[in-house]
Amino acid sequence: MTDHGLRTGTVAPTSAGPIDFGPDGILFVADNVAATVHAVDVADPGAAAASEPFDLDDVDARIGSLLGSDAADVAIRDLAVHPTTHNVYLSVQRGHGAAGTAVLVRIDRVDASISEVLLVDVPLATLAITDAPAEDDERQDVTLPLGAHEGEELPVGERTIRIQRSAIRTSTITDMAYVDGMLFVAGLSNEEFSSKLRRYPFPFTGRAADNNLEIFHVSHGQWETAAPIRVFVPYDDGRSILASYTCTPVVHFSLADLRSGTKVVGRTVAELGPLNQPLDMVSFVQDGAEHLLIANTSHGLLTIACADIDRQEPLTQMTEPVGVPRKTEELPGVVRLDNFGEGYVLALQRDDSGRHHLRSLKVSSL
Amino acid sequence: MTPAGPGVRIEIRPASAAGAGAGPGWPATTGAVVVDGADACFVPRHPFLAGTTYAVRVDGTETLLHRAGIDTPATAHVVGIHPTCPTVPRNLLRCYVEFDRPMSEGFAARSVRLIEANGTELVDALLPTEPELWDGARRRLTVLLDPGRIKRGLVGHRAVGYPLPTGGDVRLVIDERMRDADGRPLRAAAQRSYRVGADERRPIDPTAWTVPPPPTGTGDDLVVRFDRPLDHALLGRCLRVLDPLGAPVPGRATPGPQDRSWRLSPARPWRAGEHRLVVDPVLEDLAGNSVTRVFDRELDRPGGRTPPPASVPFLLA
Repeated sequence: MTDHGLRTGTVAPTSAGPIDFGPDGILFVADNVAATVHAVDVADPGAAAASEPFDLDDVDARIGSLLGSDAADVAIRDLAVHPTTHNVYLSVQRGHGAAGTAVLVRIDRVDASISEVLLVDVPLATLAITDAPAEDDERQDVTLPLGAHEGEELPVGERTIRIQRSAIRTSTITDMAYVDGMLFVAGLSNEEFSSKLRRYPFPFTGRAADNNLEIFHVSHGQWETAAPIRVFVPYDDGRSILASYTCTPVVHFSLADLRSGTKVVGRTVAELGPLNQPLDMVSFVQDGAEHLLIANTSHGLLTIACADIDRQEPLTQMTEPVGVPRKTEELPGVVRLDNFGEGYVLALQRDDSGRHHLRSLKVSSL
Repeated sequence: MTPAGPGVRIEIRPASAAGAGAGPGWPATTGAVVVDGADACFVPRHPFLAGTTYAVRVDGTETLLHRAGIDTPATAHVVGIHPTCPTVPRNLLRCYVEFDRPMSEGFAARSVRLIEANGTELVDALLPTEPELWDGARRRLTVLLDPGRIKRGLVGHRAVGYPLPTGGDVRLVIDERMRDADGRPLRAAAQRSYRVGADERRPIDPTAWTVPPPPTGTGDDLVVRFDRPLDHALLGRCLRVLDPLGAPVPGRATPGPQDRSWRLSPARPWRAGEHRLVVDPVLEDLAGNSVTRVFDRELDRPGGRTPPPASVPFLLA
């Protein structure tokens, strides 16, 4: 494999964020507190897998057993399946507050063994997310660090105290996807209501400032709005993106339309309904036709045919059902999705008691 | 199994998982065993968590050990809730809650609530965000009201309506269940009350602000007064003043009461000539309207794409 600009290094993510596989088994790992994305060669030890199902109950309790914590102290932030071995990677926040740590976990799909993936002396490259605390924002919060070695020393008179500077403005990465040499990153600012979708060339070049894209969308032909993209999925061989927003419209835009510094208005093709939040999206091929699967907070999994998206006129009428036809799978509580070979989609499901399970969904049955 | 000294095997799991199963799918807690003479010490890779009970199995004999929870008194408290004005627009988008010390994530959904005057909680008014929106020091929490219920034309807005009651009174409450970075609750609940006013659907117009020039040669404050309250956080970074040569005027900038004004205390006396108050276009008001766009723009309304003024000139004689 090519080195993709990776160099041997060690990193300890401070917070567990989204993860997504890129080319050649490289995993993108977002660290929201540090406002960075690490590209890591995880050197997956597994063999190439056929398309077989994999199910595992109580995955949070199992991870807690490994990490020495109750399931209640395990927050699974994201799920990614290795494209070749189908081993399962989970981005996990263990504990809360000062005791909280970010951990990357691998579950072997053959024997369900669970191990921690240490990012120590591994090939990696790190990207600083622009538009996080930037040069034009000098505001910082100064606190006394909890540890004896964190932060920096500051002379005060004849004494020296240790302080920690933290940016006040932050940008929380909500989703990532790799498309044809570009890493797309959606995020949520803790200040402005921005709809920026960032894209960074990979291998990382350190340049991305000219790649912030403001994606607008139109509601029912009457109101043009911008909002943070919560989750998105590339499809049509990377030519299109379907994005879902915090305010629930599902919007199509073409990657060919994206030009830096220009305003992009997507085509609103559906709404997910009131009091609903998009959680994850994945594309799959069924009988030769591409479909999208959308996990959300209020309904079961929604399946949409990409051909219907292409046919869907921009929404102009406020009538039910709103937008592109969709099929609802009666599988409640799915919070994360990823492809599991061509034959399955792997879902992380939260049941009524708060336990989390991995479930294989057969593509031909969706 | 974790091998220890000669003939000794130590295996530790959280008690909640100890009886769940065995095999590779139920691994023991990862760590290293350090043997010191007759003693064997298990050093977990991740520190044992306060309030967690562990099942420790040594040579087949199991003992439960409980790591005590944090029992020091609660000290964290809320030091600010924004907006601070008594009346907010019905389409209020965002609030900020400031704490005096770093906090834990994961508790806002149950601890931060909007409550009507009659005591009824406004369920589903606040947007659940996971992960939560904190600043870098974990001392300021950003709370969003559900934008799908604010934006006109969306199903959420039509079916459920605004998150805030028209013309009513509401309280933003932060109860003791929030946890500081050490896991302790708040010392006391905090709240701020608001009257819900009319919608705010206009873009921010800096030409509607008053910018009285301070006297030349003095170090008097420049006080910019707005036509409405603006977003507290953005106000902290979106305004600056350029002197006649185009250089930033150094000084200390602070948002004014209720975020209806902005004050610049210059580090040097004012010079004569035309100054400019420069506005970052991302500056928003309480309803998410910015200088460049309104929260939801009616396409058939003329003037929506008029370029906004980037700065406001003011002359010092």
